[in-house]
Amino acid sequence: MPTELVLISTLFTGLMLGVIFSLVAAGVTIIYGSIWMPNAANGQFFLLAALALWSAAVSWGLHPVVAALLVIGASVPASLLLEQMLIRRFYDVPNRNVSYFVLSLGITQILAGLFSVTYGVWSDQFQIPPLMAGITFLGPFPVSNSRLAALVTGVALLAALFALLRYHKYGRAIRAVFQNRDAASLRGVNVRAIYRLSFVLGNLVVAAGGVLYAFAYSFDLSVSWSMSITAFAIMIIGGPGSVVGAVAVGMVFGFTQAIVSAFASPTVATFSYLGAMLLILLMKPSGLFAR
Amino acid sequence: MNRTIVAAGLGLALVTPQTAAAADQESVKVGFVTELTGPWSFFGTACVAGLKFAEATLNPPGKRKIEFIQIDNQTQPTQAVAAARNLDIQSKVIALSGPTSSDTALAIYGYAEQNKVPFLVPVAAFPQLTKPGTRYSFRIEPNAAGWGYAIAEFVAKQKPGAKIALMHSDFALMRAISAGLKYQAAKKGLKIEPEIVFPQGSNDATVQAAQVLAANPDYVVVVGAGGFDNTITNQLLDVGIKPEKIIHPYGMATQVKGWGKRSVGSLYGTFFDANLDTVTAEGRKFIDDFKAQNKRLPSYVENYCYVTSQIIREVIDADPKAGDDREVFRNTLSALKSKEVTSGIPIEFDKNGARKEYIYFMQIQDVGEVEYKSKPVFTTNWDPEIIPVYDLVK
Amino acid sequence: MTDALRKHGRGLLVFAVAAYALPLLLAGNRYFAFIGGIALLHVVWTAGMSLLYGYAGLMPLMFAGIAGISAYAAVGLMAAGFAFWTALPVAALFAALVGVGLGLPALRLKGFYFTLCSLVIQTVITLAFVYFVNLTNGDTGISQIAPPAWFGGPLQGVGFDLVLATLAVGAMVALVLIVEAPFGRRLVAVREDDELAEMLGIDVVRQKLAAFFVGSLFAAVGGAFYAPYVGFVSPRSFDVLLSLNIWLMVAFGGRGTIWGAVVGTVLLAPLPFLLQDYYKVKDVIYGLLIIGVIVLLPGGILGGLGSRAAAGTGTQSPGLRRKEAA
Repeated sequence: MPTELVLISTLFTGLMLGVIFSLVAAGVTIIYGSIWMPNAANGQFFLLAALALWSAAVSWGLHPVVAALLVIGASVPASLLLEQMLIRRFYDVPNRNVSYFVLSLGITQILAGLFSVTYGVWSDQFQIPPLMAGITFLGPFPVSNSRLAALVTGVALLAALFALLRYHKYGRAIRAVFQNRDAASLRGVNVRAIYRLSFVLGNLVVAAGGVLYAFAYSFDLSVSWSMSITAFAIMIIGGPGSVVGAVAVGMVFGFTQAIVSAFASPTVATFSYLGAMLLILLMKPSGLFAR
Repeated sequence: MNRTIVAAGLGLALVTPQTAAAADQESVKVGFVTELTGPWSFFGTACVAGLKFAEATLNPPGKRKIEFIQIDNQTQPTQAVAAARNLDIQSKVIALSGPTSSDTALAIYGYAEQNKVPFLVPVAAFPQLTKPGTRYSFRIEPNAAGWGYAIAEFVAKQKPGAKIALMHSDFALMRAISAGLKYQAAKKGLKIEPEIVFPQGSNDATVQAAQVLAANPDYVVVVGAGGFDNTITNQLLDVGIKPEKIIHPYGMATQVKGWGKRSVGSLYGTFFDANLDTVTAEGRKFIDDFKAQNKRLPSYVENYCYVTSQIIREVIDADPKAGDDREVFRNTLSALKSKEVTSGIPIEFDKNGARKEYIYFMQIQDVGEVEYKSKPVFTTNWDPEIIPVYDLVK
Repeated sequence: MTDALRKHGRGLLVFAVAAYALPLLLAGNRYFAFIGGIALLHVVWTAGMSLLYGYAGLMPLMFAGIAGISAYAAVGLMAAGFAFWTALPVAALFAALVGVGLGLPALRLKGFYFTLCSLVIQTVITLAFVYFVNLTNGDTGISQIAPPAWFGGPLQGVGFDLVLATLAVGAMVALVLIVEAPFGRRLVAVREDDELAEMLGIDVVRQKLAAFFVGSLFAAVGGAFYAPYVGFVSPRSFDVLLSLNIWLMVAFGGRGTIWGAVVGTVLLAPLPFLLQDYYKVKDVIYGLLIIGVIVLLPGGILGGLGSRAAAGTGTQSPGLRRKEAA
């Protein structure tokens, strides 16, 4: 019974973390794959979504589901505004990934500064009221329904993302741009419109990751950096620009953390997946799923 | 550069005539280097909030004025050293105070000891801040290894031979607590198993909660950093650990609120709590005023920063020269025998600048929007060197 | 070699005069002198970063980690009884070698992937600083680091500042010599087009590796001096933010120019100290500054002004330089 308990809890944790890692890494890789923006601010965007959810659900007292939809929805105009003001200026700049990286560091600094004198002063831990009450038993392992709902939503979102990229014409256009922007442009794809769309979509997915994280865990401001680093690591291993890679490696990261921390220790788990990253890079520098 | 002067000296704005002697003297400046931005900003800001309440009564007419000069250290040791230097040289403060974090406090400690500036640490629990040979640094908060000692004492009294599961984040503070706990547990015949350490930046403890449940301990001592503390607690409760088995080495008002109603019955350590009946009239007023302004109760962090201001007042009052001479300030502070105005707990420093230590273990009764109810179930006090703290934690 | 010195002689001379004048002018106020000393220390770091980023096209975000390894190693050796001046070369060499070892897999990566990878390596190093408590004292840090011995007495005050000035001048001379040597030109070739460089018979990975070793040495020497100068080290002293800041100083001042790194350092290194009183808006100001430069002056301040003349003379006092930037 105890072995079974630990086993199922390990699987659940792997899935839960894997889904969140996958979402965030997918968002990051969509933006990098299209506009070559390594968004160091992705962790801050993730945190922004989680904090906004907290404000909407706790301070304004909205129903958590309404609050979640509101936050994810609000990421669209916010992304469009940012794209309009800053991002599009660099679409034609050579070596723009460096410019974008600097830009995203500037954004990181501003958001971190704002968070630390607002939310950082209010509390050192933030918790969203549960989506729903009660507990479900997965065999001997009890899970709160709220976390289970977050997991199911996350899986559904990943499936929807895949469907969008695979079957919808926008999704196909995004992938065409990922593969070869000149060819896509010749085939009549409006590359700039796709850039904008990718930026919005990428941020939306990151925001969704932040919202789900906030439902599954209590959090504080420090989650932003660790999430940025994790997302980058996943993107590098998976192959930048590959959503399949991001999701596959995100899942592997989640399960590695769960399994290694169950059978060795949480510290070994952290070192091991970062070490695995270095090892994979040594053998296959372009990432596992690079085209 | 326009410096934020915390002690706005509002008291002086009253038209009360002052005695000539006090009016002639320059005000005494105390440097307050704390965490207003960066990862620790919550604690620094809470500390300053506590300090501000003390200032209402800090400068009664006829006494020499004390002003606190506050500088943000960005939770960054280099900035903390620079700020200490700035206050020492530019503002010529008589003493330093303020930090609530491990590394910033130790960074200033090094500066203070090397440059002979009295340094009164309000809230930082590292044993090494008062290691043998310390001359200029004094600490108000008990050291963290001692908290671990106290937990072992508490558990041994509740259930001799008990088995304790220990889960903590890998921060110096928590390592110190666990070192003290393990040392004293061995002496008291308690068993620590399993011990689970989470690296900084951890976010999930589901598996570990299941492992703890499987080990079936009598108590679970839990201490995580920030939001993670809440996550571990929730996940322990989710897998079915009873709240009565959970001990948090420390609990601030925001934490208790975060643990929430489902944690009713669980235990936490503290050094000042609104639910203690030892709180004095002044302490009660502080709690009420703080609650009205901040929509939460103050905890030991705010209290210690409040008390910091009281201690400095008493040192300046005890020896008129203490306001101008750091050596006199240091000696007066070292010899001070007083009580916390808020709680009546004695203030007295040993040769290394550590206090006679104490802790209350509280059991949560109810958690509301702003307030929570808890009752003391165990209290103890001890000599800082009852266990070899300075060898246990380097 | 002498050509290189002749070419940049005036700049180096002006920089040397400014670097030595700074501690002497600020000697009356130990606080401003300390900020000046920190800025000089940053010049050592940005010189190394300039070599790596400006000339070799590498953006190593584990730079601070290497500085940290050196700092901890130096402190450890001093605690074991060695003199600082013995500990310094050992620690610096050790840290640079560890840096190369850690960077080896990443160096095979092209362009930006290297940067992302180095970011993760930096994270591992920071975690290691926290985890290996016996070596580093964990996140508590090590305080009361003794100043180096100097002719029988402790090196402190203006003396230490002047040593840092010497170090900064030495770092700039070394940078000039390296950049103007054939090795430096090979690096630029690799930066501009590594495939073409490969075709021309340049061993790209080996050049990068050599550059990385030399750049890491700058980081390591700076780190070893940081420890006794500040008197305290902890994992947070050498976190990724320091890497980013050092890199930013180079990008801000002007990538691929000799004096850009110095300009960036002089403008940015003192900023966090001078903004201590404006903590509520400090990060926002800093962020806006970064965005402003990347939008308005994408090549950095000197790169933006473009002219070689500006690059050659941007070495007077901070005040003058600020005017140039405006």
